[in-house]
Amino acid sequence: MIAMLVLLGLIVVVAWFCVSIYNKLVTLRNRYKNAYSQIDVQLKRRYDLIPNLVETVKGYLKFERETLEAVVQARSRAMQANSRAAVNPGNAEAMRTLSEAETALSDVLRGFTAVVEGYPDLKAHKSVLPLMEELSSTENKISFARQAYNDEVMSYNITREKFPNTLIAGFFNYQEAALLEITSDEERKAVKVSFS
Amino acid sequence: MPIAGRTTMDFFESQATARTRTAYLVFLFAVAVLLTIAGIYLAVLIAWQSSRWWRPDILLGTTSAVALVILCGTAYKMDDLKKGGARVAELLGGVQVSPYSKEPKEQLLLNVVQEMSIASGVPVPGVYILPDEDGINAFAAGFTPQDAVVAVTQGSLETLTRDELQGVVAHEFSHILNGDMRLNMKLMGTVHGLLFLAIAGREIRDMTSSRHGHHKSRSKGVEAFLLFAFLLMIVGYIGVFFSKLIKSAVSREREFLADAAAVQFTRNPAGIAGALKKIARWPTGTLVASSRAEEASHMFFGAALKDSFLRLFNSHPPLPERIKRIMMAYPEMTDAEQKAVAAAEKEREKASDEASLVSDERVQSLVGPSGIDPGRLLDSVGKTQAVHVAYTQQMTAIIPPPVIEATRNPLGAKALVFCLLLCEKEHTGEKSDDWEATLDNAVREEIARLRPFVSAFGSEHRLSLVDMSWPALKALSKAQYQAFRTDLLRLIEADRNVDLFECTVRNLLTSRLDVIFGLSKPRKIIYTNVDQVQMEVFELLSILAREGNKTEPIAVNAFQKAMNRLYGGKQMSLLAKEKCRVALLDKTLARLSETSFELRKQILNACMICIGADRWITEEEAELFRAIAENLDCPVPPLVPGALTSTA
Repeated sequence: MIAMLVLLGLIVVVAWFCVSIYNKLVTLRNRYKNAYSQIDVQLKRRYDLIPNLVETVKGYLKFERETLEAVVQARSRAMQANSRAAVNPGNAEAMRTLSEAETALSDVLRGFTAVVEGYPDLKAHKSVLPLMEELSSTENKISFARQAYNDEVMSYNITREKFPNTLIAGFFNYQEAALLEITSDEERKAVKVSFS
Repeated sequence: MPIAGRTTMDFFESQATARTRTAYLVFLFAVAVLLTIAGIYLAVLIAWQSSRWWRPDILLGTTSAVALVILCGTAYKMDDLKKGGARVAELLGGVQVSPYSKEPKEQLLLNVVQEMSIASGVPVPGVYILPDEDGINAFAAGFTPQDAVVAVTQGSLETLTRDELQGVVAHEFSHILNGDMRLNMKLMGTVHGLLFLAIAGREIRDMTSSRHGHHKSRSKGVEAFLLFAFLLMIVGYIGVFFSKLIKSAVSREREFLADAAAVQFTRNPAGIAGALKKIARWPTGTLVASSRAEEASHMFFGAALKDSFLRLFNSHPPLPERIKRIMMAYPEMTDAEQKAVAAAEKEREKASDEASLVSDERVQSLVGPSGIDPGRLLDSVGKTQAVHVAYTQQMTAIIPPPVIEATRNPLGAKALVFCLLLCEKEHTGEKSDDWEATLDNAVREEIARLRPFVSAFGSEHRLSLVDMSWPALKALSKAQYQAFRTDLLRLIEADRNVDLFECTVRNLLTSRLDVIFGLSKPRKIIYTNVDQVQMEVFELLSILAREGNKTEPIAVNAFQKAMNRLYGGKQMSLLAKEKCRVALLDKTLARLSETSFELRKQILNACMICIGADRWITEEEAELFRAIAENLDCPVPPLVPGALTSTA
């Protein structure tokens, strides 16, 4: 009788342990998914700003058609990458594709910004400056949100790799989550164009 | 106008009542567990075809097994719910509303919730939609306003007007303010143990049948599983039975109070009555389809599950009764709902006139100190009124869009908080360039971008802006929060003259966010007697008395008056100026957060006396009182100019 109770108690303890580990993994996974949605929100903002900006400067930049085209194309590629990633945040492949697309877009935008710099009467246009500032602010927010996402991913991965959590994770097929790196970050900081 | 049968309770009393009900809940739960054990014991005896009624071995076995299952279920749920209100929203399939949503209805919902929070003086809760629900329903969940969420069904969004939505949201806010929400969370956790078997049975059945479908060639094993699940559900039904009883006993009557409060907040009975009437005509009514609805049934605005034939089991009072009570208290509504709307309009106009008058600084300086009545200020704690909601609507209409956007994303919110504190420093002429140099580029740029807007907006809305930034601040990662916290501390300590208001705002943020990010534990109530916190009260009142560089005799006078109220004849002298370090404030407030609400009322009363000893409370002093009260989790509605004067 006593033996049975002790056994029962032991089973309960082990079950509880497993359940709480599982819940922890679920919580941490939800956190990085939520963190991704913060990035998503800002990326979408940026995607919305770009056509507006392109429309505004089109008239002035008649000879810069290639630059504008490059921007538009990079944007649509990034948008596709993002919608795929949003469905499955943390998935290694989706994150890599997004990272590449976003890096490309950032590079192109930098080129675009440099071009606009070369047209003083364009800068004087009343909508251009606010739009460019908005763009810059959104870039900052993307960067900040990305940092938060990566923090949460690290937190999840570290917990997942510990023993015995890794057993539970394996059983329920909780895979490692991927960070989101935008590789040309250092370059970005160096080539900061100011609009003063 | 009070609703028949309801006595007005002040905020502090309702907190105390909520706690008594918690004790009642625990008692009922204990009784239910005993009865469940008895019931199962009898069932086992019958199944075993025992000849005797008294079988201690079976009793022991049954008791341990049942108690174990129930207590495990309860403990598990309590632990699960520790994550806060968002957990409940997740459980019921809620989806968080994005602040950048392009859906007009979703923006409307965000605005209504934001309005109600600021008008009540609580941080803006998370906002969720239940997209798969056609019924008209809503709930608020969480232990404190800091981890609270408000959720609304898709059906509500599609059918309710702004006024009706506002009525429903106001009803939910009253639960947040009067301690019901916390009680409901505890109820949900406690009762889970009783529901556990039924839920486990249902989950097993769902998992098994979804895996194996309805193949004719179902294996014996699957059949056995299904049978087991079925038996589990039957046994579990006993638990469901008791949980319904407990819920109905503990939370049903509160619904009338919340309806009454909704009218008080909006001064618009047509709003909530309109919502209730729409529900009455709506085919799905308030029904919630989610399989988890039973667990959270008591948290909803209306009955989430079909009413049972026994009134005893209903989680909510009947709809016609609720409508009737509102109509009875506001008979003129049947005449012309326009009358109520017209009265509300008048109130808004009056508030807007006053607001626009006083926001002009030159007029402010002419008018001088506004002569706020201390008694009325203390009275306003936890009492949101329609005039506050109207004032909030005016205020949010004039907030510059970049500032609103900043409150809705983490980087912006962080920069906004810094801006609010930096603008304060500008007034006192402090330099903060060194501190700014230590920040990240991104943060510095954001601060530079927001600063002109914040300076222009007006310093009397600082606390409201902090409340608005709450959801975005919660979205920081832990590491980001720690960085934010360090920067915040360095900013405030960079001064030689640390401003009291700055300190209270900073403490407000850090003490609450520390709990959210797991850096400190939530405070439990320990002290119920004013003598137990004598030291802390002494320090707080000394700091307050010296606030504003008052001359020594004035400070001493203020201090003495306040101390006398609390400690009667004890003679204590004001703390020396050097010892009044505002840096002490954190620890002092932390300790004072461990007092009971009745005690907090006394403490706030003393603070009020101290501030008002010169018989003239300026708006700054009132704002300071508001900040201190918020640190003690006593929400104070925003100060509407002219509403709290002795002549008003």
